Amino acid sequence: MTLAIALDILREARSRRWIIALWGLSTLALVVVALGLRLEVVDGALAATRLFGSTLRTDVRAVDVALRPLYLAVSYIVFYGGALLGIVATADFAPTLLAPGRIEQLLARPVRRWEVLAGTFLGVEALVLAGAAYGGAGVAALLYLKTGILNPGPVVAALGVAVAFAPVYAAMLLSVVVARSAALSGGAGLLLLAAGLVAGQRTPLAELFHEGASRAVFLGLTALLPRLSAIATIGARLAEAQPVSAGPAAALVAGTLAFAFGLLAVAIARFERKDY
Amino acid sequence: MRRRARNAMLAAVLLIGTAAFLMWASEEPMGKAVARTVEWPRWMREEEHQRVVARRVLPPRPVASPTAEAAPPRPLDPFLEALPRDQDEPLIVLEANALRHSRLGELFVDCVVGTSRTDPFDEMRREAGIDPLKDIDRVAFSPAGIVVSGYFDRARLDQLQAKSELTSYGDHGQIFQPRMASSGGTPPASLGAWRGQLLVFGSRSFVQEAIDRVEGRAQAAPSVIPEELTYGEAYGVLPGAALQRLLGGAQTELGRRLASAAPRVELHVDAMHDVAAVARVTGADAEQLDDLGKSLGAALSLLRLDAKARGQSEIADLLEHARVEPRNKGFTLEVALPIEAVERWFDHCGAEAPASASHR
Repeated sequence: MTLAIALDILREARSRRWIIALWGLSTLALVVVALGLRLEVVDGALAATRLFGSTLRTDVRAVDVALRPLYLAVSYIVFYGGALLGIVATADFAPTLLAPGRIEQLLARPVRRWEVLAGTFLGVEALVLAGAAYGGAGVAALLYLKTGILNPGPVVAALGVAVAFAPVYAAMLLSVVVARSAALSGGAGLLLLAAGLVAGQRTPLAELFHEGASRAVFLGLTALLPRLSAIATIGARLAEAQPVSAGPAAALVAGTLAFAFGLLAVAIARFERKDY
Repeated sequence: MRRRARNAMLAAVLLIGTAAFLMWASEEPMGKAVARTVEWPRWMREEEHQRVVARRVLPPRPVASPTAEAAPPRPLDPFLEALPRDQDEPLIVLEANALRHSRLGELFVDCVVGTSRTDPFDEMRREAGIDPLKDIDRVAFSPAGIVVSGYFDRARLDQLQAKSELTSYGDHGQIFQPRMASSGGTPPASLGAWRGQLLVFGSRSFVQEAIDRVEGRAQAAPSVIPEELTYGEAYGVLPGAALQRLLGGAQTELGRRLASAAPRVELHVDAMHDVAAVARVTGADAEQLDDLGKSLGAALSLLRLDAKARGQSEIADLLEHARVEPRNKGFTLEVALPIEAVERWFDHCGAEAPASASHR
């Protein structure tokens, strides 16, 4: 039943014009980059880079090394752009699903309440993953066609978006269960995204606080939050072909997903108590 | 329904607690900070300029007809004066003392000491009276001979008298000419010494010309390596003709083209931390040089990709930072090896060096 609700969400997304418009916008951005970026590649070396006719670089160096800053920028754009577009695009899914009339009709069917929320969460995650993967794979394919070097970095960044979006959307779902409002849902998502960016940099930021109570409070508050900017950093490092320690990276991903499921469980607990 | 809500809340508490623990655990360093800048030897730095000035210990040469506008003659560096003046021959200088105190030098010394049964530096110290780790300042290599500068007051040159004929030369020079074997053949190299500051190895005429230049008797000729190019821990010049000779056999045509496009290649290597080399290629034909630069860049990239595919990490490391930068009347080729990669090369060398600490 969870999968059926997830599929319902995807069908509903397909029928929304502005989600199709966002899709079109992403495609347009890819086409613009494809037409504007000229890379003179000679046997695996980047001899010159021109963007809309203006020369960006003139030195000759290995193309995968020369393009590392580009892969870095693309992975950050895919990550943060994907997360922001995801929040905007999915903010009113849950409020629509829980709208008076529709929720009663849904609960009248043989479906458990937790399955409604789990299905919605799964459907939105699939939608965000598909969108980010489209952008990431599109950029990776474009650069492959222009340089002959296949760097899966942008695709990895897209997977990072799906992981980072899990706690964001869980917070959005929780807010909808508390008060059914698309604006509040989007606000909750943005707030958690911003908090996650801060939490990902909590160690250097803590040094800005005076040693003592204020620093301890900051560290205590951010200890529970998912380190979303750290996930973006892992994606960027992989895109740049830089080493990433597998253990801490796996712990970060697992912790982020556990936090998302924890928030989803809070939303389910609240939803179970509601009268419809 | 209330029981399900309570269970969900319990699961939430457990999950968020687990999440906090996992995320705390993930705050270990994610990887080494590898985004670093290589210091390229592209120009003379302040400390190198000070080094150049400190080495000017020879009094200035008198000018035949001084004019009011001309700058007064400045003191000279005896080592640079001793270097050969043949513009068609390669000449490479190693700053031996600076290299010795670089990380690369430390690794090399540890490796040599660690792999030898006896300490070869100590042997040289005892037998020749020269401590190669302290007394040698610079070494220049040319096809005709070698010039070494340093502190050779305690060198046991007297030991050579048994096998050589010693003659004084010029004001302060000495030449040790090995006695010829009766069978004839190529005469063995002579050794010239000047004021305990310079040693010159090569043919007798090479040694004599070097001492003549230092003492001001030789005809004035432009230096192959002018003073302003003496930066980095190794530097030198490769003329196109020398490149052509290097690429003989099946590569003769390539050598000819290289020599015609790049009549002069200037080299600088910085080895104080990472090992970074800059080769400045200049010539008259800008179009030919541009083609050469692009071909070189492409060749390096292919070599790197090939090395990566074959798992040859040493070559891949070396070519990671390789690039060709177009410049006025030519291009520069830059290649660097991060010190971590150098350390990996020396990983299994001199690990049991018992005496290494005493050299530092």
